[in-house]
Order: sequence, then structure tokens, then C-alpha cells
Amino acid sequence: MNCRMTIRRLSAFQDKELAAPQVRQVELHLRECGACRAEWDALRDLEQRLLGLPPAAVDPFFSTRIMAGLRPRPAGKNRLLQAAAFAALFITVFLAGFFLQKSALDRQDAERLPAVTFTSVLLERQDLGLLTVQEDTLRQFTRKRP
Amino acid sequence: MDDPQLTDDEVVSSVLGGRDRDFEILVRRYSQRIIHFVARMTEDGDEARAIAQDVFLKIFEHLPYYRRENNFSAFIFKIARNMTLNWLKRRKRTVFFSRLLGHELDRLPLRRDPPRLSPMEQGEREQALTRQLRRLPVEQRLALVLKVYLEFSYKQIAGVTGWSVPKIETLISRAKARLRKGIRLQESGNEPVVEAREK
Repeated sequence: MNCRMTIRRLSAFQDKELAAPQVRQVELHLRECGACRAEWDALRDLEQRLLGLPPAAVDPFFSTRIMAGLRPRPAGKNRLLQAAAFAALFITVFLAGFFLQKSALDRQDAERLPAVTFTSVLLERQDLGLLTVQEDTLRQFTRKRP
Repeated sequence: MDDPQLTDDEVVSSVLGGRDRDFEILVRRYSQRIIHFVARMTEDGDEARAIAQDVFLKIFEHLPYYRRENNFSAFIFKIARNMTLNWLKRRKRTVFFSRLLGHELDRLPLRRDPPRLSPMEQGEREQALTRQLRRLPVEQRLALVLKVYLEFSYKQIAGVTGWSVPKIETLISRAKARLRKGIRLQESGNEPVVEAREK
């Protein structure tokens, strides 16, 4: 492996991203070449300097603050239960409405007066002496329709 | 609180099953790394903590969309990456308009956590390196931070960013070369005045 190739691979070599045969080639070349070794030392120095930067301080109450800021989310099981409860409530309300309406209609039917024909009204009034009904008139109203 | 026997996916199942409190296990497991990641991307400790907090709230909201493939780390770092990049875009716009108005917002000293007790020279070196990191194009910075600080493999970085492995290799290699060049120039007193254009 020549210097150009080695220099090109030094970063990946440092990051331990080279395959084993390439690693051996780079190591061999570094043993033999002073210029490339100087490059390698410079890279290692840079990494040491980067790792030497102080990390940002972590607030000891960081997780507490986050937990306090969470908006509660309904859990999976609870969500299912909630949906079932809503469905049951809806069905109950629907059935209750249906049966209430049905019973109201039945009651109305029960309270309704029997049908009164015009002929019977005339006869009733005649019985009470309020009017006189001719036979022809009665026949006209009781005549069967074709 | 953190039960090391539980995998991330088991904890997620528990949270989705109604035990919201178990989300704290994930927060404790990942908060340090998320904050570290965001801090390295933004170079602003206070903002990093604020962004990290939003990241976790978003993770909680999006948990139902997580497909359980034992890759929770990629899932949360994708969210962290998106939120951090959005923040960087917003800051870029702010810097642009502040420049239009004649303010040099990005030339203000970096807001950072108090440095560790170290010699003056060490502090200056850290400042110089931080400045160089900040000048890297965003894609290079993202790949480098995931590699160096979170020890992600190229494949894991691909999972978070959606880039190909050769692209990641190139980005990291260029980032390192750029940092070395920048540090060399800075230390020799020939620091370039023009900021690198963020991609």
C-alpha cells in the first residue's frame, strides 16, 4: 500500500471501520513510513483533543422536569376499555330511545277512541230525538262501494 | 429506577401499555448522551439542555410510531438530529438578520458551561477547538460528533442520518482534515476571518 492510499484510509482506520486485511496493510505501512506515521499521530492527537473537551453538565433534575412536562397518554388497554364503554353507552341510549318511543306509540293506540262511522252518528242523534234520518239517506251512506 | 435487565423495546412497550412513569428509565438511560450530542452540535450548554428536554418530550409523543426493531437509539437520535438541525437553521437566520442590522451576534463569546479546573493554556486550546468545531459544515459536524462523542459506527450513523457509509466516511475524514488545518492556522496566528459556509 502506498502513502496516498494509506492517508486516504487513515480516518476509517482510526474509526475502526476498515476490514481486517486493510487494517493489516495500513499497520504495515505505518511501521515503515515515517511521514504517514506523523499523519497518524496528528489524527490521534486531534481525537484526544476532541475527547478532552468538557461535556455539557447534566442537570440532576433533568429527568424529573421531563416527567413533570409529560402530557398523560391513555394506555392501550384503557383506550380499548374506553372505546367499549362508549360503544355500550351508545347502544344503551339507542335501545332506550327505541323502546321508549315504541311504548309511547302503543299507549297512544290504546287510548285512541274506536272508529265512528257517519251512519252511526246519524242513528245516535236520531235516537236522542235530535234529528230524523230518512231511510234513503241511510241507504246512501251504507251502500257498499263497488 | 433504571432496570438494566429491561431492553429499550421492553420499556417502550411498558410506556405504551400505560406505565408513563417508565419513560423515566429511557430519559435516564439517554439524557447524558443526548445532551452531549446536542451540546457538541450547538456549542451552547444552556441551549443544549433546553433542546434535549424538547427532544425527550417529542420522543414521548412519537413513541407510538416507533417500530420495535431493537433500534431505539437510532430512533431517538433521529429526533435529536432533526431538532438540533432546526435549531441551527433558526440560529443561522438570526445571525443573518443580526448581521443585516449591524450586530455581530455570532462573534459574541460562546455561552458554555464553566470550564473544568485546568491550566490557562488548556482552556485556550479547548476554546480554539470549540471554535473550529463550530465552523465545520453541519453535515461534517454531525457525522464527526456521532462518531467521536457517541462512538457510533458508520452503519449506526447511516441509520440516524440516512446517508450512505462512503459518504459518512468522506464527511468524517474531511471534518478531521478541516479541524487540523483550522487548529494549525489558529495556533500559528493565521486564523481565517471568513466563517465556513454552513451547508
